[in-house]
Amino acid sequence: MNHNLNDKQTNKKNENEVSLSINGQPITAPDSLSVIQALWHAGYPRVKGVGCLDGVCGSCSVMVRRADSSEIKMELGCQLLIEDGMDVFFSVFELPPQHNYELSRINTSWDVQTEFHKIFPEAEKCRHCNGCNKACPKGIDVESGVELAVKGRFRESGELFVECVMCNLCMTGCPEFIDPNHVGLFARRVTGYFHTRPSNLINQLEAIRTGQLDVDIEEQS
Amino acid sequence: MSQNKVMSGSISYQQALGNYHLQKQSLEGFPAVELSIDEKQLLKEFHPDHRHETITELQVGPNKGDRCHKQIADVLQADSRIDAADLAGTRIRETDVLVIGGGGAGCAAALMAAEAGAKVILATKLKLGDSNTVMAEGGIQASIEKGDTPQSHYNDTFKAGHQSGNKKLIKKLVMDGPETIRWLIQQGMQFDLNEFGDLLTRKAGGTSANRVVYFRDYTGLEMMRVLREAVKNSDVDVWDYSPAVELLSNESGHCAGAIISSLQECRYVQIKAKTVIIATGGIGRIHLNQFPTSNHFGATGDGLVLAYRLGAKLRDLDSFQYHPTGVAYPQHLSGTLITEGLRSSGAFIINALGERFVNELKPRDIVAAAIIRECQEGRGVVGDSADGKNVMQGVWLDTPSLEARKPGILKKRFPKLVQLGLKSKIDITQTPMLIYPTLHYQNGGVVIDENGRSTIAGLYCVGEVSGGIHGRNRLMGNALLEIISFGRRAGARAVKDRKTRGHKQITIDHISNLRRELMQNNMPMTSKSPLLFPEYAQFDSAKNSTARNSSSTFCGVCDQ
Ligand SMILES: Cc1cc2nc3c(=O)[nH]c(=O)nc-3n(C[C@H](O)[C@H](O)[C@H](O)COP(=O)(O)OP(=O)(O)OC[C@H]3O[C@@H](n4cnc5c(N)ncnc54)[C@H](O)[C@@H]3O)c2cc1C
Ligand code: SF4
Ligand code: SF4
Ligand code: FES
Repeated sequence: MNHNLNDKQTNKKNENEVSLSINGQPITAPDSLSVIQALWHAGYPRVKGVGCLDGVCGSCSVMVRRADSSEIKMELGCQLLIEDGMDVFFSVFELPPQHNYELSRINTSWDVQTEFHKIFPEAEKCRHCNGCNKACPKGIDVESGVELAVKGRFRESGELFVECVMCNLCMTGCPEFIDPNHVGLFARRVTGYFHTRPSNLINQLEAIRTGQLDVDIEEQS
Repeated sequence: MSQNKVMSGSISYQQALGNYHLQKQSLEGFPAVELSIDEKQLLKEFHPDHRHETITELQVGPNKGDRCHKQIADVLQADSRIDAADLAGTRIRETDVLVIGGGGAGCAAALMAAEAGAKVILATKLKLGDSNTVMAEGGIQASIEKGDTPQSHYNDTFKAGHQSGNKKLIKKLVMDGPETIRWLIQQGMQFDLNEFGDLLTRKAGGTSANRVVYFRDYTGLEMMRVLREAVKNSDVDVWDYSPAVELLSNESGHCAGAIISSLQECRYVQIKAKTVIIATGGIGRIHLNQFPTSNHFGATGDGLVLAYRLGAKLRDLDSFQYHPTGVAYPQHLSGTLITEGLRSSGAFIINALGERFVNELKPRDIVAAAIIRECQEGRGVVGDSADGKNVMQGVWLDTPSLEARKPGILKKRFPKLVQLGLKSKIDITQTPMLIYPTLHYQNGGVVIDENGRSTIAGLYCVGEVSGGIHGRNRLMGNALLEIISFGRRAGARAVKDRKTRGHKQITIDHISNLRRELMQNNMPMTSKSPLLFPEYAQFDSAKNSTARNSSSTFCGVCDQ
């Protein structure tokens, strides 16, 4: 992995203005800008679909076709650097969540499996079409995550979704309406809810509850 | 966006990279210079808070006469976006509790209020969870380790805040620590655990014990996606793309709701509420002193403006946190935070001569000031940004040596940073990142009591918008603790107010009062606030349809 910033730094002539199209608008901007920054740079207002600008909130998903290919890829607009000849569209779909559940209604960890299938009845119909994996801008193996959850291996399933930013792109691509990212989040949440019982935390809670630990606001160390 | 003049004698990127590699390979490594410094003097000379030309006195409102950053004063003393005529014919909705802001504090408050049976609307500017909370990396404080106590947590927090925090608030904060972690686990949040299932903890700059619990360098992401899911699966009525632009008051001047600008419908809606909880977060996108920021897109200090106009008292409006390690290059990531966890793990900061110039584990204000000093005195790394408009400057964050000392640590503990490097075509195991301080956190804010109540009846403020807990400097991990601890307190408490009050009359009289006061003080009424979005997003020009690009097939605000 070589960094190519040096020539950019020292030789101004190399710095590139690129031309591309964003939401059908022709735009010219320096290639050091992200898609969102390029829109602003070119004087177009952009508020919708902008959030953290840090690649973690999942609000800015865009579809992009590059000059040298006909393939359409999903990316995060705040992370995607513009290139010559790109065609970019901000996603407009905003699907309401299909599923509803409350962790507190699941009585014990023995019931998780049954409850999961009640909440996400479509999950076992996954046809392994790989659509979700192709859509994921974070490169998550979404499909395996769904498969593991269906098998009741929630901890392992949840592990696959550590970097999921809930951009919903996998959800829009799924022909079975599985909401794979919500499956993944369910898997993560039940793991925390039922299986995180840290003794260091529990001991301290007990010491506070029984009044062994308190704070004297006048005492200074 | 660098705000300081670049010294002419500064060292180019190439040259500095050469110096770096030379020293790295040398036997003695990086020489450490000036590690013992007069910290008070350093802050005074180089910390942005101490630039006298940027401080002013407020002319109107409850904090009249108090010191305030000029750019904050500008928004506090601007005109309202609302005229009485705007309200004619607007839709009116009613609720028990209105939460404004969908970050961690807002979600915690909404969940508690809804759980207690109140009718809750949560109105947020962007999408639920687009917030500073989702970006937090380092972790959350709670005294849970054997030998650590809430008292030590209290002492550390008070001391770090330069003895100016509100003692009662700090006591609540630290006593809530362990319970807050338990509550988060009950929402389904995961933390990093050791092989026995105990919570892993680490130190932060200024903590006397291992007290920060975390989930990788994704603590905020994990927290936010869990809270967002919990809120969406609750009875809370979530309004996305609905920034609050003004509060409503009743006949006695109590808070009685808010006016929301629905971005999708391009119109105003009035929400009458028995209680309002403001949880709008921080001010980074006001770009104080032209600094880049680590904050999310909607962090424009709106809550301060809303509360101040209704008469709520604020505090410490001249105290902000500049995080020492913001990305300086590449430009599209300028201001992006690099977690303090790296310095805690032993990463050095190196100047353009290949020297260490500060103890990296000193508090944030000291390290930030030291970096600014290096750059101002010509020992910074300098390069032109690609569009030639900005000259950027910074120093190195030495990830390569950290990786050499602890092979594998970057990938395992800091996956987000590795990703960030890869996206910028920088392999951080080989090449250091260029960094410069970034505007990070609003230390002060709305004055509150132990349940998050402001000085105005019916108005609560929680999270980064509030002030008093962190005094004039915040420890890493205390913000995430604060938003959950005080968010929950306010949500639970707001429900109790529900039965006691009804509003006879709903008004926006406070706006007329504001205008009168501004006029009496000869203040220019040329700009309006709250800002809602940073200027470069051109929100106001888009709303003003005459300015909308006629060839544009859609509006970047509502996509219509
Ligand atoms: C990059 C980064 C890393 C951090 N790391 C840590 C860490 O490791 N540990 C720690 O303790 N702290 C950390 N912090 C600080 C901490 O994350 C924040 O202080 C905290 O999350 C603020 O929470 P909040 O709920 O008050 O505000 P936010 O999470 O910012 O939420 C505010 C919400 O209000 C909305 N809003 C704003 N204006 C309006 C309006 N007019 N109407 C309606 N809605 C509005 C916003 O869109 C947003 O959704 C970090 C901060 C940043 C930026
Ligand atoms: S798993 Fe789905 S929601 Fe998560 S990042 Fe990938 S595409 Fe987005
Ligand atoms: S897109 Fe849906 S059906 Fe296809 S593999 Fe993914 S989860 Fe299964
Ligand atoms: S704006 Fe949050 S992921 Fe791009």
